[in-house]
Amino acid sequence: MSPELEKCPRSLLVCEKSNFMNEKSRHDIHVSKHSFNYKISVLIPECAVLPANISGVISNFSPYYLVRDLPVYELLQEKYYETVLQKGTVYAVSYNTKIDEDNSIALLPRGQLVLSLNKDAYEQLGLEGRPSLYNHRKAMRYVVTLNLSDKTLAPGTKRYQRVLSGLKDRLPLRYDFLFTEYNTGGDEDKSLYKLLSQYKPVEHKAVLSHHTLKNLPCPTLYPSDLKGTTLSCDPHSFLEWLGAVNLDISCENAADSFLSTYICPEPKSSVSQALLCTITGFISPEDVYLLLQELRKYFDEPKFTPWLSLTVHGFMDSPVSWGATEHGFLKGGENFYNLVCFKNQDYWLHMATGAHDGCPP
Amino acid sequence: MEEPTTFERHVYKNASVYHYMKISLDLENGKRSFSDAQFKQLIISALKELYGEVGAAFPFDLLKFDPSSLKAILRVYNKGLVKLWSALTLLGSYQNEACAFRVIQVSPFLLALSGNSRELQLGESLTS
Repeated sequence: MSPELEKCPRSLLVCEKSNFMNEKSRHDIHVSKHSFNYKISVLIPECAVLPANISGVISNFSPYYLVRDLPVYELLQEKYYETVLQKGTVYAVSYNTKIDEDNSIALLPRGQLVLSLNKDAYEQLGLEGRPSLYNHRKAMRYVVTLNLSDKTLAPGTKRYQRVLSGLKDRLPLRYDFLFTEYNTGGDEDKSLYKLLSQYKPVEHKAVLSHHTLKNLPCPTLYPSDLKGTTLSCDPHSFLEWLGAVNLDISCENAADSFLSTYICPEPKSSVSQALLCTITGFISPEDVYLLLQELRKYFDEPKFTPWLSLTVHGFMDSPVSWGATEHGFLKGGENFYNLVCFKNQDYWLHMATGAHDGCPP
Repeated sequence: MEEPTTFERHVYKNASVYHYMKISLDLENGKRSFSDAQFKQLIISALKELYGEVGAAFPFDLLKFDPSSLKAILRVYNKGLVKLWSALTLLGSYQNEACAFRVIQVSPFLLALSGNSRELQLGESLTS
């Protein structure tokens, strides 16, 4: 058989271990740079009920808004400009646009607007951009990045007029957008909603669901053995097991079973119960960080379990993954990270991306 | 009290041994009842049809099967991904009834199959 048939798309997994109390720990940077979060999944072994402090943080997550048919040039209007730049916590991504087929647009905090355009749209728009890092032989996709905080793009400048006329006249892009901003609890928090009110934004809250799993085979993890050479299982097996738990896949199959031979990785133990909690929506990195802080506090009192896990999935179709690193969709658009928090405040951080992605930071 | 751990960082490229596929079976005349063994046998027969007995002789796991929606999650070694995917694509009929496998998601990480943002549906879209 041709060796071509045995090839697979490239994937990357970065595994880090450190301690939350370590000054140089970069867990906060990694969380804050992953701007577009679709789903969070928390697994707490030996726990039956969602702790009140954690459900409290989740219920206080900022809402997100779906705005239908928003012209992209509106994001350059002065009123958005000032609000977005001043606050530095507004995130937006185009909704229901597939980055491997359509144009996809995202707004990062501090006013960075990223447009991932197909060749025709790019040529019609006439703005300066660069070819996508993930083009095959011919350049079919281009990325235009506009830094709205840049002085050369201030309202009134020539460049600003050019960009505005491009988005208004040459290629009037209009998409459904998801907006969210991190709410600090002040009066100015409703300003985003007021700004978008002309386009009738529909408010949504992240959907929380949780259930308790019984008699779950669970890998034994030791914080010092990240690579899984001696005491723990290797990272890929651990992430596979987490996927199995999230997808309700049986981890106890016989080696000669016709259907499936999947088993929980060794070394393992059986836990009588575990809490699986998922939150779905458009969640800001600031809210993820708050949840992480509360999960760390879970070990302030003695607990049976030595670890718990937090997984955050990014949007498949966002034009960026971590920071401004370009993200694409080849056979999949995965960009997720998983934090295993240990009771001594050690942590493991696994960051995974697919073929059309840069290496996680 | 355990000593806090030292910093470590490892980058793995293509280290996942398996790929995972979330698929669903569409039948022309609507749903019919399949057991999980029948479903797996259907996929094996699709592989044999395209690649022959020897070409189809590689294992894959039916990790999960939902008989009501005919959705399933498969696990296959990387070397077998292209063969499995192509066999699923080219299967056209089952017991003289037209059918098609839809590949919903493919990933080298099983965990990624639990977080597919393309499933986020917030009502009818006006700009599709």
